[in-house]
Amino acid sequence: MNAATDTLSDRPLSNNPPSASLYLARLFAGVLVATILLYLASRFLIYWHNWPSLSASIQSFSGGVSNLEDAQKLKGVLLVLGYTGTLLLIAFLIKRQPNRSLGNDAETYKKLSYYIVRASFWAVFLIGFTDAVISFLRVEDLLIPLVGQELADKLGQPISRGILVHYPLLAASFVIAWFSKSLGFIWLALLVVIAEFTIVLTSFIFSYEQAFMGDLVRFWYSAFFLFASAYSLIESGHVRVDILYARISNRNKAWVNVFGSLLLGLPVCWTILHYGIGSAQSSLMAPILSFEVSPTGYGMYIKYLMAALLIVYAVSMAIIFVSYFLSSCAYLFKEPGAELPAGGEH
Amino acid sequence: MEIFFLALLFGLMIWALTSGYPVAYALPGSAIISVGLAALTGYVFAGDPSAYFAQDGPSQWLSAGVTNFRSLYWVVERDTLIAIPLFIFMGIMLQRSKIAEDLLVAMAQLFGPLPGGLGISVVFVGALLAATTGIVGATVIAMGLISLPAMLRNNYSKSLACGTICASGTLGQIIPPSIVLIILADQLSNAADQANTMRKALYKETTGEFSMPAQFDVVSASAGDMFMGAFIPGLILVGLYMLYIFVYAWRKPEAAPAVPYDGEYDKHFFLNILLALVPPLSLIFIVLGSIILGVATVNQAGAIGAIGAMVMAGYRLHQGNRVTTYIPVFLALAAIAFIGYLSHTYDLNIRNIKSDEQLFGVKLAIGSVVVLLLSVIWSGWRVFKVDDTLKQVMTDTAKMTSMVFIILLGAAMLTSAFRGFGGEELVKSFLTTLPGGFWTQFVVVMLVIFLLGFFLDFIEIAVVVVPIVAPILLSNPEANVTAVWLGVMIGLNIQTSFLTPPFGFALFYLRGVADKVVKTMDIYKGASAFILLQLVGLLIVGLNPSLVNYLPNRTYLLSETAPPPLNPKLQSCLEDYVVGQYAENEDNIHSEINKAEKFEISYLPKKLQTKFRESTSEANNALKYIENINKVKKQLDKYTVDYQPLQQTVSTLNTNIRRTATLIKVTEKEMSEVSPDNIESLTEHKDKIQHLKNEKATLEKSIPSEWESQNKEYKKLALILKNARRQYYHAVDSSYEALTELEQIIADGDALANLESELKTLDKAIVDENAKDAIIKIKAVGSSLSKIKGTTSIKSKLNKARRVLKKDKTDEAKDKAMAFMRDAHKAYQTEIKWRAKASKELLADLKHYDTSISKTIGLRLQSRLTDIQAKSVASCLSVHRNISLSF
Repeated sequence: MNAATDTLSDRPLSNNPPSASLYLARLFAGVLVATILLYLASRFLIYWHNWPSLSASIQSFSGGVSNLEDAQKLKGVLLVLGYTGTLLLIAFLIKRQPNRSLGNDAETYKKLSYYIVRASFWAVFLIGFTDAVISFLRVEDLLIPLVGQELADKLGQPISRGILVHYPLLAASFVIAWFSKSLGFIWLALLVVIAEFTIVLTSFIFSYEQAFMGDLVRFWYSAFFLFASAYSLIESGHVRVDILYARISNRNKAWVNVFGSLLLGLPVCWTILHYGIGSAQSSLMAPILSFEVSPTGYGMYIKYLMAALLIVYAVSMAIIFVSYFLSSCAYLFKEPGAELPAGGEH
Repeated sequence: MEIFFLALLFGLMIWALTSGYPVAYALPGSAIISVGLAALTGYVFAGDPSAYFAQDGPSQWLSAGVTNFRSLYWVVERDTLIAIPLFIFMGIMLQRSKIAEDLLVAMAQLFGPLPGGLGISVVFVGALLAATTGIVGATVIAMGLISLPAMLRNNYSKSLACGTICASGTLGQIIPPSIVLIILADQLSNAADQANTMRKALYKETTGEFSMPAQFDVVSASAGDMFMGAFIPGLILVGLYMLYIFVYAWRKPEAAPAVPYDGEYDKHFFLNILLALVPPLSLIFIVLGSIILGVATVNQAGAIGAIGAMVMAGYRLHQGNRVTTYIPVFLALAAIAFIGYLSHTYDLNIRNIKSDEQLFGVKLAIGSVVVLLLSVIWSGWRVFKVDDTLKQVMTDTAKMTSMVFIILLGAAMLTSAFRGFGGEELVKSFLTTLPGGFWTQFVVVMLVIFLLGFFLDFIEIAVVVVPIVAPILLSNPEANVTAVWLGVMIGLNIQTSFLTPPFGFALFYLRGVADKVVKTMDIYKGASAFILLQLVGLLIVGLNPSLVNYLPNRTYLLSETAPPPLNPKLQSCLEDYVVGQYAENEDNIHSEINKAEKFEISYLPKKLQTKFRESTSEANNALKYIENINKVKKQLDKYTVDYQPLQQTVSTLNTNIRRTATLIKVTEKEMSEVSPDNIESLTEHKDKIQHLKNEKATLEKSIPSEWESQNKEYKKLALILKNARRQYYHAVDSSYEALTELEQIIADGDALANLESELKTLDKAIVDENAKDAIIKIKAVGSSLSKIKGTTSIKSKLNKARRVLKKDKTDEAKDKAMAFMRDAHKAYQTEIKWRAKASKELLADLKHYDTSISKTIGLRLQSRLTDIQAKSVASCLSVHRNISLSF
């Protein structure tokens, strides 16, 4: 689509957008993003620090049937305060900066989403590589002579390998991602090729193939297409059926993107989050909490992280949808410099 | 009510899709909205969110959807999909490095001077690119930019030129390696499992037997199978296209004139052609060849292709010093050649190094791998440096891969909601109630796919339609089609969707790059002719399933993991082959058996003599039995002519009766859940049950009266055939088993003779050493004897001696043991003697006899099929057989 040229032709520039609705749109977007992040934070407190869930806390205040102990009650109060406080803070911050345009906010959220993806890429890259090396050493009985019996035993258990190796690398990834500027995840394309080609070389020439090699390919490949999705949306990589879309005006296209992001896109992300990590038994949370590994034995210990990939996907997409929503709004509000977000091309 | 929400789901889906929001989110989004609305209405009006679902509730179906998301990459079974990013990487690399362009220019020069030559060159290059890049958009755009202007300049008919380019571009969808085929394989292997379960249930219901014989299993499809299956149909399409252009040029020479080449046909010209043609061709041969030969899995072939493309891009993109341009690629080739030589001469299994020589080989191999890697890294570095190509390739790969996969994710949610509203049952009952059986169902499905192709993209069709309809079509025993064939037919059909105006993607791409002189109508008109060709291709493949099934079957039966001839799935085809062999060599087999009957075997042990006599007489019987099978088969076939239509009618009636019975049960269950106060609802249910019961009674009455007797007669004949087969199998198996056993016993004579000294030391051990050591020694000899056939008589004597020694340790016992030892020696000597004689006089004859009957009587007990047999069985297995009579 020739978005850039069309913007000039069918859109009279105007410099006084309706400020109330603009504020509302920004607030709405801010709340959407904040809820996602709060939801994640609360999952962390609930599963790792045994906090009560939000609904249980609210029930305990409203005089309903409460089975929370006092310490838990306090945590519940903190949780509710945290939720409301953050949301109020957001409202305050947005009000404080009336001059920020929708486009600025959209850009910020896009950057946030890209940051999450970039950090996850580094995590997947570092953990994948390290864990593959550990698995190789373990399968070849080289681990014990290299690091000693005690550490080798620990590395043989999914939980301690997760805590000793994966978690520090995960933390490091978020730091690295803060300082690096590249997209990151595109390198997974090459990494998948390399990992699969390694299998080709070792199995064809030296008749050597181990479960962990296949695991590494699967790990990187699933991360690859899940992480690429957010970028794809912005860069119009996703297919549209443009029977009508190619013919409607740019304003209508923007409306499609506004409603599509809110009604079609975000619900998908929330469904993944709610049914994936809503309770400790959910299909994504259960493997993460139990450090699930594949049943093949001497494979990599990253299966639980593969469940987490889908969470990264849901979160990065949810935030990018908000950004997409805002930039479409910016176009609708005729913000100066706002362009129709890409779309329409296959 | 479910029906209403099903309709709502479809309405929302159509609305969401046509709105133009990305398909990947339109599909799951509309599914979630409709599930949500159903839950809400259910909660408000019926007090229960699950009220309006066919079974289970909203949260079950949504979490099933999320679990489906996860399962896309969670289990090893779906690893096939990993090939997609690999092949996309390879394709984009070749496209970005302009290798595709070189090919187009060179081929146009080569074919141009022929009438219609430019068009034919486009088809040819289209086919080659399809086998390397397989990306429709890239191919159409490249050809639209390079070939279209050339064709127009030379006064080609605009519609012919456009049609050729669009159609050739879509070849990437059907000629392997293709993304659609991988996705179809993924969906179909799942569908085949489901279909098998359905067929088993049907078998149990209709025959009352618990387990279905393995030969009735639904044949599944892997990505490799799909590639092989689509190979010949793809070539047929290429042939059809070329033929069409050729005929067109011949009938209307002005529409497709010959274009003489301006330059000279000199060394330089042919070198250029070779340089453009050879590398992509070799890549195709390596990638497809390794899959078709069964050497590499599809994923491995994808990685090889991706790395190969990068090495090729490395020299194509390199600018500057011409001398170094080709160094990496030659290094890589040399390393590969050397590795090939090494693995031929040494055993390079790195986990099993036994000798220094082998270690040396492994070291050399590691060295070569390092060289290979260096050249790959060198090429990769060039691709990285020149115009940032690597980054662009990776970015494009990322976009395209996520486009494909996120749609796959989205469709998983849609399928979940569709099931939740009972859509699957609905489609199933619609399809199964169609008159005319499988072929009507099939045509309807194909028509629906064809029509959907006007609006939807290939991935959506593959992931939305296939999981719903494929299990139903595959489970139908009437046509008993293979999943590969169904997949290729659907693939051919979906390929057409790229060409169908107004929304075919190939047409869009071409419109985007074509000159303004070309009118959109020209493109549509040109494409229409090729759509017809496409339908012709579909018809050809539809009528000749062997075109699809033969290659996968052949590869499977020739592979190292081929099933042995005893495998029940092969029996029916093996029988055809054997009958042919008998007919051809009957006299020869007879005379060989006669000769065998006259073998001089009087010096053999009595037991073996009788066994061998029995063996030859059973061999004689086998000839009679197979004739008997033929006779019974003919009878059965004759009977089936009249019986089959009746069976079909009754089978349809029975299906309906069963469905009504289930409906009655469901309604009764619903009624039991209705509260007793709700009289209105109760009577409603009662009426419904009564109505269904009446319906069932009418159906039962409409079964023709002659059915029972005819069915009985058929079953009788079928049983006779089964027994005839059993009789034959028993005869040949026991006959041949006895023969091979005898051969083995005689052949083991040498090994037995070698044991002589070992056996003699036992005497000394029993006399001189203590009992414990002697026992250990006897045991050792016993275990050596166990490795030799036909030594039980010796072993039993040894065992007796050992037991005596164990019991008490007196000298008396030693004497007893020695007595047994003498018996053992005696038995040993007789064995050695007759075996030595037989080995000289009989063994060669036996072996000759063995080979002369190994293709007939002995076939079932061979360890694997010979290549000729495998090919014959493969072509027999490639035909679809109606097995509905067994259901």
